[in-house]
Amino acid sequence: MTILQRIKNKVRARSIHVAYVDVGSCNGCDIEVLACLAPRYDIEQYGIFVHNNPREADVLLVIGAYTPGWEEKLAMVWEKIPDPKAAVAIGNCPISGCVFNRRETFIDPPVRKHIPIAAEVPGCPPRPTEILQAILSVRDSVFANWEAEHP
Amino acid sequence: MKRTVDVNIPLGPIHPCFKEPARLKCEAKGERIVSAEVELGYMKKGIERIMKGRPWQEVMFLAERVCGICSVIHNMVFIEAMEQISGISVPPRAANLRVIANELDRMQSHLLANFSYCYTIEHETLGMYLLDLREQVMDELERLTGARVTCAYIIPGGVRCDILPENAELLQASLDRIERDLRRYAGMFADGPMIALRSRGVGILTPEAAQRAHAVGPTARASGITIDCRVNHPTYQKLGFVPVSRTDCDNYARIMVRFDEVAQSISLIRKSLQDLPAGIIRGGGICKAGETRYSGEAPRGELTYFIKSDEFGRILEIQIQTPSIMNIEACCHEMIIGVDSIADVTSTFVSSDPCIACTER
Amino acid sequence: MGFSLIWYLKEFGRTAWIKKFLFAKTAPLTTPSYFRGFPEPTGRICQHALFCMMACPAPGAIEVVHVGKGWMPRIHKGHCIRCGLCVEACPHGVLKSGRILETMEREGTSLVFSFRVVIDPVLCTGCGNCCTSCPVNKVADAQMGAGGHSSNDEVIMKVQAGDVVVIHEEKCTGCKTCEGACPTNAIRIARILEGTQQTVHEGPP
Repeated sequence: MTILQRIKNKVRARSIHVAYVDVGSCNGCDIEVLACLAPRYDIEQYGIFVHNNPREADVLLVIGAYTPGWEEKLAMVWEKIPDPKAAVAIGNCPISGCVFNRRETFIDPPVRKHIPIAAEVPGCPPRPTEILQAILSVRDSVFANWEAEHP
Repeated sequence: MKRTVDVNIPLGPIHPCFKEPARLKCEAKGERIVSAEVELGYMKKGIERIMKGRPWQEVMFLAERVCGICSVIHNMVFIEAMEQISGISVPPRAANLRVIANELDRMQSHLLANFSYCYTIEHETLGMYLLDLREQVMDELERLTGARVTCAYIIPGGVRCDILPENAELLQASLDRIERDLRRYAGMFADGPMIALRSRGVGILTPEAAQRAHAVGPTARASGITIDCRVNHPTYQKLGFVPVSRTDCDNYARIMVRFDEVAQSISLIRKSLQDLPAGIIRGGGICKAGETRYSGEAPRGELTYFIKSDEFGRILEIQIQTPSIMNIEACCHEMIIGVDSIADVTSTFVSSDPCIACTER
Repeated sequence: MGFSLIWYLKEFGRTAWIKKFLFAKTAPLTTPSYFRGFPEPTGRICQHALFCMMACPAPGAIEVVHVGKGWMPRIHKGHCIRCGLCVEACPHGVLKSGRILETMEREGTSLVFSFRVVIDPVLCTGCGNCCTSCPVNKVADAQMGAGGHSSNDEVIMKVQAGDVVVIHEEKCTGCKTCEGACPTNAIRIARILEGTQQTVHEGPP
């Protein structure tokens, strides 16, 4: 591992920019992501910054069960994120469709079909601590040694 | 008359200020907004279609997932509509516990709305204070019901679990703390000169315009229209509920109405804790056939369920009228018009507390 | 502007704020014991009543599977919404989640299932598939023929004179096997859930 790579690893681990996209959830997971910003959980002490801009994001939090309104649009958002990037599915909806995955529904879960998902957080909604742990787990598995693995 | 439009500005669906996807298309002349239109359709899940043919134990969870922020009121209105259909009476202790859960939920929803507004006008200090205060309310909600967001606390004939005496004392102590902090933060908002520049006189919704757009909830009450469904609710009548209202009609009034309602919720919870009758919390009762229309006051305004059920309590037809759609209409057709800058568009939109998830379902 | 500056100085000059700023420790992020997490087994023996699966509002969240010689409910994370209805519906206390089980035992609350069998006379062809597929019928009358005829009166339902007659509705276990066997969707089982409380809870508010 070169020194440059080591520096990159160190910097990337402490500076994660997060964008969240709501593809048809009930809002419960949205407000739990917002609660991570609260001084109680203080997401910024880990170097994670939540601001909703895909073009400068590293991690995309996908919330919701993929409604038809997001066809093509979610892939567009995903393409706009610069490499290295990772998507984290928050809550049951992107994993299985939660209680909405019944007959007569409009949704098309799982989101895994549409964009690659690096980590999943089950729960309806998950606690803020669980969301925090998921983002931090992605940090090591996806961002470390990215240049070496993608020549 | 020929309309001159300089620029079309689409905001959203992914926007730093919006929690949820909605597209706001503004036509601006210079930076003054001439007209605006909201474009929905990113969150449609078809909840009412899923609900059909299902018994209450499944519809209850779908109903509280109509909107995750104000989940308790959706649960409460659906269950009370089913109780009205089947003639189930609620034990008085359970009725008071329902009010406690509902008001705690209203407090966290209002604090979240005010946080979003403060965050949008870039007053992050106050926003973080409010978010921290909200965490304390969430703790109380969790201690009472066992879950933070989708509580599933209210079932036909009562509630899921009782409040323990030691938890009631903790709730009292916590309410005192929350009220002390809230008074300080509301004072910070009321007297802050920078905040006044961004919110006083911005996004005016006159009472006539509010009536024209059928605005409900805090948005209407900030324009001097005192409509509140809680005055028709028997438990709230027993607690002596009187709605709050303001006549300033601007963003500032809407946020202050929410602060006032949080303070009012605290006193309602205190009163219902004091008057908490002893007894059972579940009366039993089976859901039956019938149809009804039942309204309750969600944190964002009037919420109406129209339900038709079959002889075993399964839902045959259901229609949900959520408050946000009226407020979004009022926001983009009345409030935003004439706003002086694009930055004020987002703050005005957020001040009406739009909830796209319950608008589209 | 001057006023604003003074105001902020006053806000951040409070002793409480300075104390907090310098000496505050973040509370450890623990999940409280009363949080309603994913249901976990208590160790009591599952009796295969399947009420947990019937009460569950989320599709595919819980299923009762063979573990060793007995049965055991299995929770699927990613489907389970942590509502705790399975804990309340289980008559044998197999699962626990947060403090639901202890509150139920203290307050005497429970969720009780009852089942109703409804047959649409217009759609029903009297084929008797429901009667032969019913697992309770199989125990009550092992001799029941393919047409659903039976001389035994202990069965839930049987075919009499070309029509299905429901005799013992209270024996139904709500498994809905008959719904799957019916070629015309004429039979429907209603699972009615009722929240009840046995003992009067007398505690100070």
